[in-house]
Amino acid sequence: MENRIDSSDALTARKYFSNIWSAIRTTAKGMAITIGYVIKEKEVTVQYPEEREILPSNTRARLYNDVENCTACSQCANICPVNCIYIASKRMPKDAPAKKADNGMPIRMELTQYTIDTALCCYCGLCTTVCPTECITHTKNFEYSKYQLNDMKYDFLSTEMRSLRTAVLAEREE
Amino acid sequence: MNYSVKSVEQDESIKSEKLIVNMGPQHPATHGVLRLEIETDSEIVTKAIPHIGYLHRCMEKHCESMDFRGVIPFVDRLDYLASMNMEHGYVLAVEQMLGLEIPRRAEYIRVMVAELQRIASHLVAFGTYGIDLGAFTPFLYAFQQRENILSIFESISGGRLLYNYIWIGGVWHDLKSSDLEMISNFVAEFEEQWQRYDTLLTQNKIFKERTAHVGIIPQALCHEYGATGPVLRGSGISHDLRKDKPYSIYSELEFNIPVGEGSVGSVGDCWDRYYVRMVEMRESIKIIKQCLDGIEDGEVMAKVSKVIKPPAGEIYVKTEAPKGEIGYHLISDGKKNPYRLKVKSPCFTHVSMVPELAPGMMIADLVALIGSLDIVLGEVDR
Repeated sequence: MENRIDSSDALTARKYFSNIWSAIRTTAKGMAITIGYVIKEKEVTVQYPEEREILPSNTRARLYNDVENCTACSQCANICPVNCIYIASKRMPKDAPAKKADNGMPIRMELTQYTIDTALCCYCGLCTTVCPTECITHTKNFEYSKYQLNDMKYDFLSTEMRSLRTAVLAEREE
Repeated sequence: MNYSVKSVEQDESIKSEKLIVNMGPQHPATHGVLRLEIETDSEIVTKAIPHIGYLHRCMEKHCESMDFRGVIPFVDRLDYLASMNMEHGYVLAVEQMLGLEIPRRAEYIRVMVAELQRIASHLVAFGTYGIDLGAFTPFLYAFQQRENILSIFESISGGRLLYNYIWIGGVWHDLKSSDLEMISNFVAEFEEQWQRYDTLLTQNKIFKERTAHVGIIPQALCHEYGATGPVLRGSGISHDLRKDKPYSIYSELEFNIPVGEGSVGSVGDCWDRYYVRMVEMRESIKIIKQCLDGIEDGEVMAKVSKVIKPPAGEIYVKTEAPKGEIGYHLISDGKKNPYRLKVKSPCFTHVSMVPELAPGMMIADLVALIGSLDIVLGEVDR
């Protein structure tokens, strides 16, 4: 290693000036690299609201539950480390027609509540792995900040959330 | 007129006392929420007491009510700059209790992501150390490269910081060919970047003056406190669990253990610790290259039962994380959640060395010392 720093020696005038010189020299070298970056390197920053990065297919952002396929097995609520999934169901009425999920699983329970508190959610993705019908998935939507904490609770049985279904399914297909 | 000049000590009308300064918890130089209570005599530190607990999340107790899979998102949050390494240690502990055999491909992927994460963590250490000592530019360049690593992780696991990727029995997603390509591109480019960092900061005279002969940790003190990782290796002791007690497939890989040699100042000073990290990044690149060449096809997940119930008993597994040895003491009583999970954190050990090292230092040197210890408070407080 060049110019080892020796604290034991006394500071001579020669050493004093050579110290200053080497400080200037090494800093100038660093500045040369910085200028090299300005000239040669292409931009790395993304002008966020105007430009967006393409997110990978397995991005873990806001959860979405497709209630049409949900069997109300509550495995997602059980595995959730932060208990942010609120799920309630009741028995199907006897005269109701037999329903089946897309992958052939019979739906025996009627879902009465399916709410996810996304303010609590830690985006670990464990709920998506245990789901037998793969109805709960992560979407790529990460921009949903709210002014009120309560607004972060999403009721997936509401018409508002149901209307997102086609868009989410299309995204899942990709 | 008559003037008599007295020094402060001689002048009895001036009272002098030691000044107590709080460094932190919001001080950027303390890397998180560490509060240091410093007693100073002018600019010399006479006493430093670290106060921790600002990031305590009750993680160990909380894990007792989780099942063994649900603990993984929590261990992610220990050292949030090196989540993959944290997961790796915990998962090894559970697997050894279960006696699981892991597919070879999964082992390769694990080592690869752990080493990438080590580079990412050391890049943060390098960048923030520059900031601590007044050099802002290296920070941006370090984060540019770290961003590449995070993009790789985002592509393979879906998360950018907290992955939940290494699972009991293997890894979650298999690597796609595009991921392997991203990793090999990163590996190919890194050496050039490393040379830039070297010129920018390592060779800088001002940086050397600030770090050489500062904060020397003697080998005896390392042994007394049980320091590990780059702090121990910076003091000239070659000890790395990847070499000394190989886990996973590290025994099949070729790499060196860098140790501090005092090539600029004296052995065990801040510069040595800093440089050990820099060289370790290169060694990690070597390991990743070997993994890319040797990666085998096959499954990435072993057959694991749906409910994980390790047999009653206890185990202590330690692995080499970027900051030092992370140890998991796991006790199981045969139920589906851990009876106790104790985490041995390397940063906690290093923080507890500060009161021993600080007296007699300048305040600015104390900043250099804490930066060179590279602590993450998420792991200290748990």
